[in-house]
Amino acid sequence: MVDLIQPNHLHSFKGGLKLKHHKNDSLNNGLSRLKIPDDLYISLRINRGNIAKPIVKVGDSVLKGQVIAKPDNTRGCYIHASSSGIVAAIDERETASPDADISTVIHIQTDKEDKWIKLPLQESLDTKKIDAFTADKIITAIHDGGLVGLGGAGFPTHLKYSNGNKQKPINTLIINGAECEPYITCDEQLMMDYADDLIIGSLLLMKAAGAKNAVFAIEDQVGGIKSELESKLKERDITDISVVKVPTIYPAGGEKQLIKVLTGLEVPTSGLPLDLGIIVQNVGTIKALCDYVTHHKPLVERVITVAGDSINKAQNFIVPIGTPIKYLLEQADCQFASTHRIIIGGPMMGYAMPNSDIGIDKTSNCILALTEENTQHHGETLPCIRCGECVNVCPAELLPQQLHWYINGGNLEKAREHHLFDCIECGACAWVCPSQIKLVDYYRYAKSELKYLDFKRTKSDEAQIRHEQREARIERLKQERIAKRKKTRSRTRNKDKMQQDLKAVLDRVNTAKETKDQLDE
Amino acid sequence: MNNPNSKTYNTQSAPHIPNTNTVAKVMLTVWLALIPAMIAHVWFFGTGIIIQLNLSIFFALMFEAISLKILKKPIKLYLTDYSAFVTGILFALCISPIAPWWISFIGMFFAIVVSKHLFGGLGQNIFNPAMVGFAVVLISFPQSMSVWLPPHSISPYAFSFVENLQAIFFNQFPDSVAFDTFTQATPLDSIKTGIGQQLSISEITSTPLFGDFGGLGWEWIANLYFVGGLFLIYKRIITWRVPAAVILTTIAFSLPFNLYDADHFIGPLQHLFSGGLMLGAFFIATDPTTGCSSHKGQLIFGAGVAIMTILVREFGNFPDGVAFGVLLMNMSAPLIDRLTIPKPFGGKKHA
Repeated sequence: MVDLIQPNHLHSFKGGLKLKHHKNDSLNNGLSRLKIPDDLYISLRINRGNIAKPIVKVGDSVLKGQVIAKPDNTRGCYIHASSSGIVAAIDERETASPDADISTVIHIQTDKEDKWIKLPLQESLDTKKIDAFTADKIITAIHDGGLVGLGGAGFPTHLKYSNGNKQKPINTLIINGAECEPYITCDEQLMMDYADDLIIGSLLLMKAAGAKNAVFAIEDQVGGIKSELESKLKERDITDISVVKVPTIYPAGGEKQLIKVLTGLEVPTSGLPLDLGIIVQNVGTIKALCDYVTHHKPLVERVITVAGDSINKAQNFIVPIGTPIKYLLEQADCQFASTHRIIIGGPMMGYAMPNSDIGIDKTSNCILALTEENTQHHGETLPCIRCGECVNVCPAELLPQQLHWYINGGNLEKAREHHLFDCIECGACAWVCPSQIKLVDYYRYAKSELKYLDFKRTKSDEAQIRHEQREARIERLKQERIAKRKKTRSRTRNKDKMQQDLKAVLDRVNTAKETKDQLDE
Repeated sequence: MNNPNSKTYNTQSAPHIPNTNTVAKVMLTVWLALIPAMIAHVWFFGTGIIIQLNLSIFFALMFEAISLKILKKPIKLYLTDYSAFVTGILFALCISPIAPWWISFIGMFFAIVVSKHLFGGLGQNIFNPAMVGFAVVLISFPQSMSVWLPPHSISPYAFSFVENLQAIFFNQFPDSVAFDTFTQATPLDSIKTGIGQQLSISEITSTPLFGDFGGLGWEWIANLYFVGGLFLIYKRIITWRVPAAVILTTIAFSLPFNLYDADHFIGPLQHLFSGGLMLGAFFIATDPTTGCSSHKGQLIFGAGVAIMTILVREFGNFPDGVAFGVLLMNMSAPLIDRLTIPKPFGGKKHA
């Protein structure tokens, strides 16, 4: 099989933005482990609506790493307690998801002892011992460890490796360390501090996927990581993993864009990277896998960047899942008075949180606290003048202004014709818009509206089919009844004839009798 | 549940760090790109253009304000987007420096009120406002539109600023010179009349009214429109597609005619450097609101403008056809757009 990636020959995708990256502050201050907060709010909602079922009750005491919720279908994932303590409540709360959706949340009051249900192993795995693991064993570990894509989408990781998906053999594993949004540095931090774990995790995932080779994709503006990783790879005599720097153009870290940059291939519309024989995995996910397989440590914590112009000490933290945003901001010396907006994720695609009591999620990679002046728009929203700058920057190669035009006019089907569903909601169009139109809002609205209309249409189609089937059934029964009646009627008609015949015979007999009687007389 | 004392934060949607780009900046950049050509205009044709610019801008803003007031839209917000300002400038650059004041008045009425606000205001218009205004006055008042001044180097009489004012506002011309001596037809106009008088193109263009490629003076203004247009491409206000399509199609479409009969059909350079083609290619056909949105569509749009312009110049009654070309293509833009929806990322067939 040919190598899909030639490190010296990169490609580019159309559109994209060069943004100020604001990354140095949080990288310079390094990584530190957050102290256990008093309360943890662990959301059971993973990846668009798949909610795990709680298996603990209010009042139960739980230990760190204990499973507290189980998936009820194959698309879900396990959720573990991220510290020891008592389950104080299981209720519906705002979660760190788009629009701060209300979902089931387990509230744990911690006892600060941070007691493990099973103490993680300390020594790390030797590269040679990886041979002892089979692909199935690794995939089971991915599921048991509660792994989801830590880059932001939260796609349950085991689904990428389940055998049903493998129509095409996997050639390449791309390890996505190219976070293209400004401010976010958690991936870079991981690569700097945990290069060994990432290499082991990558070897494990290559094995799970059956991939021939793997590539670390890192941003070209972050120095040092490439040589560090390469020397570690050399130490271990690993030749099938390489490190490639990709240009820092937003959204180069998006899955489809990254594949295009590295291989020149485009993931087909409504297709998956698997169709090209590629799996993309965030470095955070790789670290979590390594933690579970080598240390038996499930996904109970992650690295989060805390940054923004309201933060005095921007840095990366290792944070237990469920830590309230407020606690995290306090540790980073946030000026709450001047904070105008709190964002989970980056400034381009992140979502603003209505309050700071929400617990962070497995997918939360960054918390931004921004002041009003930094988030203020320049002037009011004007009508679209169709300047076309959005077309120039759209990485999905759409016509954002036409989409806006049709959605604004209520013509959603036209928006679909203009490939609305290929929009990746990166926000590049809205960022360059001179009329300051929140374009992505229009697209999200139109997508959800169209999905709802499609749902209604299938429902009504189904109802139509049911109705037609019922009509057909009634008709069939009616026909059957008529046929039956005809049959009985013809039988009765025969009876009449028979009676007539009988009568005729009897008549003849009687006449014969009478004649005989007369003759006898 | 959630702590009631907790502060609530703004929850606007992404992107959270806005760009500094505004419609006003776009419009002012267009104005900036036009300044070199305006200076050249003053150099060759005198101060009349300054008065015309002021008049057009004044009437444009006036009609804009009145329309907004009637439509109950925020006046200050829309006046400061500078779109009417740019419409006024583009219109003034198309008319004669000594056209009477009411030409701008009527032109701007049709540009701003009829073609812009009756269609829904900023961003909703189908036709390029400046070109609607220009086409209306061109058709209605051909006399006033065709009277131009000769470039100062061949002019027997240079108008002072006050004399320009008198001409524009009171239709009064200096007594000392005869009307015919200081006015002159535009180069394209004189070609049209010349051909009508059975003259060949080479005879016509050997008159002092013509320079190296196009009309004397006009060719320099066209050059500077070209430079301004490159500036707009550099600033990402426009893309190269429409201007390139206009210029290349002009060459490709006029060359066969010219080769067939050079005495009756204008050559490509003359087409490009006389009249409004450069202005049209970079500043008018590139109007995004009334043009095509897809990249392929923009190429078709530009080519259409060039073909229509040449057809009008060669076979029509009017000396120049950029305005008609643009307006006709404006009409076709929605259809072109529908037929050229680009394939999205991942939608193309792999080799």
